[in-house]
Amino acid sequence: MSTAIDTPAATAEKVTAQGKARAKRGETLTGWAFAAPFAVLFVLFLVVPALYGLYLSFTGETLTGAGSGLVGLANYGDALRDPDMWKSLGNTLWFTVLSTIPLVVLSLALALLVNLGLPGRWLWRLSFFLPYLLASTVVVMFWSWMYNPTLGLINGVLAKFGAAPVAWLQDPKVAMLSVVITTLWWTIGFNFLLYLAALQNIPEQQFEAAAIDGAGKWRQLFSIVIPQLTPTTALILTLQILASLKVFDQIYMLTNGGPAGKTRSIVQYIYESGFTGYRFGYSSAISYLFFVLIVLVALAQYKLINRRSAA
Amino acid sequence: MTDLSRRGLLKAAAALAGGGLLVGCAPGASRKTTDLSYWHLLTGGDGTVMAGLVDAVNAANLGFHATQTVLAWGAPYYTKLAMASAGGRAPDVAIMHASRIAGYAPGGLLEPWDLDLLAEVGLHESDFPARVWEKCQYDGKLYAIALDTHPFVLYYNTEHAEKAGVTDALHAMKSPDEFTEIATKLQKVTGKHGLSYGYLGDGAQMWRLWYTLYKQTGADMKLVPGQPAEVDKDAAVKTLTFVQSLLNDTIASRSGDGGTATSEFLHGQSGMFLGGVWELPVLKDAKMPVDALPIPTLFGTQAAYADSHTFVLPRQSKVSPERRKHVYTMVAEILKRSVKWAGGGHIPAYQPVAKSAEYQALKPQSNYAGIPASVNYDPDVWFSGAGSDFQNYFAENVQNVFLGSGDPAAGFDGFVARLNKLLDRPQPV
Repeated sequence: MSTAIDTPAATAEKVTAQGKARAKRGETLTGWAFAAPFAVLFVLFLVVPALYGLYLSFTGETLTGAGSGLVGLANYGDALRDPDMWKSLGNTLWFTVLSTIPLVVLSLALALLVNLGLPGRWLWRLSFFLPYLLASTVVVMFWSWMYNPTLGLINGVLAKFGAAPVAWLQDPKVAMLSVVITTLWWTIGFNFLLYLAALQNIPEQQFEAAAIDGAGKWRQLFSIVIPQLTPTTALILTLQILASLKVFDQIYMLTNGGPAGKTRSIVQYIYESGFTGYRFGYSSAISYLFFVLIVLVALAQYKLINRRSAA
Repeated sequence: MTDLSRRGLLKAAAALAGGGLLVGCAPGASRKTTDLSYWHLLTGGDGTVMAGLVDAVNAANLGFHATQTVLAWGAPYYTKLAMASAGGRAPDVAIMHASRIAGYAPGGLLEPWDLDLLAEVGLHESDFPARVWEKCQYDGKLYAIALDTHPFVLYYNTEHAEKAGVTDALHAMKSPDEFTEIATKLQKVTGKHGLSYGYLGDGAQMWRLWYTLYKQTGADMKLVPGQPAEVDKDAAVKTLTFVQSLLNDTIASRSGDGGTATSEFLHGQSGMFLGGVWELPVLKDAKMPVDALPIPTLFGTQAAYADSHTFVLPRQSKVSPERRKHVYTMVAEILKRSVKWAGGGHIPAYQPVAKSAEYQALKPQSNYAGIPASVNYDPDVWFSGAGSDFQNYFAENVQNVFLGSGDPAAGFDGFVARLNKLLDRPQPV
């Protein structure tokens, strides 16, 4: 018989291993216990409602519970044929294009300016970031005064130059632009801060070396600063596109989607279909279509960024 | 549920642990039968008056205590009320615009009032104007008790009117041309505008004026789910064109929104002002020389857009008969004190008050006291009414017309197309 008789050393090893495993199990349990409060809330208030929403999208459920039961894909078919859905989706994409580009380019420009070492840097930093801390209601409150066609500051200034008053929020041609300007003013601080932090992480020696090699300020900007900021730009771009696609509150309060539905976002259309139009099933279907779109956008960006960093 | 004590918090935690929170929270389960919850959407001056009325009724020691909850006007209020009713956990009594009853009664979100119990607290059909009482019904049952009628009216600056020599003409005008003529004369006096009317970005305001004029032509708008909208396009185009002609930056500002219009009129920069009766307190507080009239009959038929604040019984899964009785008493007591409510410009629905000497002495309120006889509410359909998407759809399609750049016929067609789409869909209530 070759029954292995454990040597004292082997026994000790085994005991330690068992102890380690036990300790590890203990750690895992502790870990779970710490994670549990979040996990429970996450499942209860995110996973369950999301799955329930998916279920609702296949039903004719209404706010009053008077709806028909399962309707299969009818809601999705309806949504795809609904011109108002497409219109609000178009508005959302248009808003995303109009807002994302300046929110990336301008925030970089502002960060570069502040990083130049202007006197009173803290004041610039504070004033660019402060609006971001305001609640959307506050932002909307004073921008709607600024935009007021007869009493507003903007038209008041324009009038000094002899310009005709503009109905900023009521003219279908400029309403979206006004919303974008408000959003820009309100949210640019966050991107600005990310850029500023990244800028301050670029080692000073690189600039010194470049300067010795005879590179001017512009050459330094394009050969050192912008390439070094690529990961930050990728992050900002991803966050910004997702945030812009989900736009709702400032538009809802500034224009309520008007004039002529020109600023109605897809999120507002989902809200209206469900909560004021009472069709929960239908609004769930649109929100799932929108969800798919967001996932596709996120995936596309992920691919693009990966390819760029691999190259 | 309002005072959250440590004990209460622990109880709630225990209930949550037992999974009983959802059932445990239903009103009626723990509240005293003498506590009434009352939801409404009245803020500003109206809110103050309503709070005073609730306090007065509570102070009368009638065996109950009502607590009011004030929510934001419009969609937020109506969505919350619908959801509370759908869940069966609604307040004991709530305010609802008469124009919204058609959206709430068919889905079982409201419960009808019992006529016998109403009689016990002294309220009868004969105490209300016929058209108002009728609008409070759905499918032959009474779902609402009207507190008031609040129409769209014409205010004018008495000093300007005198200077322009149009005071009598204002009271006697019978056609769109006469209206334009008077407005032009007033414009010459003020040097700025003849008329103030705030509408930009506000679907309700556009709807109120246009619907008044449209109904004055004798036209109707009938909306029945499953059928195309029955409308009179000629009348619609005629009245839209008239509104467009007024908003020419001479007679009235093309870019007038609510705040601008009120401020312009208050500062004497216009002679007439189209607005709801609820604007009256602001105008009176400014101590300006103001009078008010029903909107003159310009298109042949006497008609006015109006709505009513009404009391409704939202659906509760557990009804306490005692509390329900208290609600009847509370409503009757508020109605009997509604001359206070009339101070805010509204026309009391309760006839003993409307006919009282005290109300008749209120000026200019009693000038338009006859409007309930020719009142027109929004078309009876689930998606119409105060603060509804219906008015937004109207604005979406006609704001350009009002602004002068849109074609009235095309704007109206767009509105009707939107209505038809809604009528074509399965009714969700």
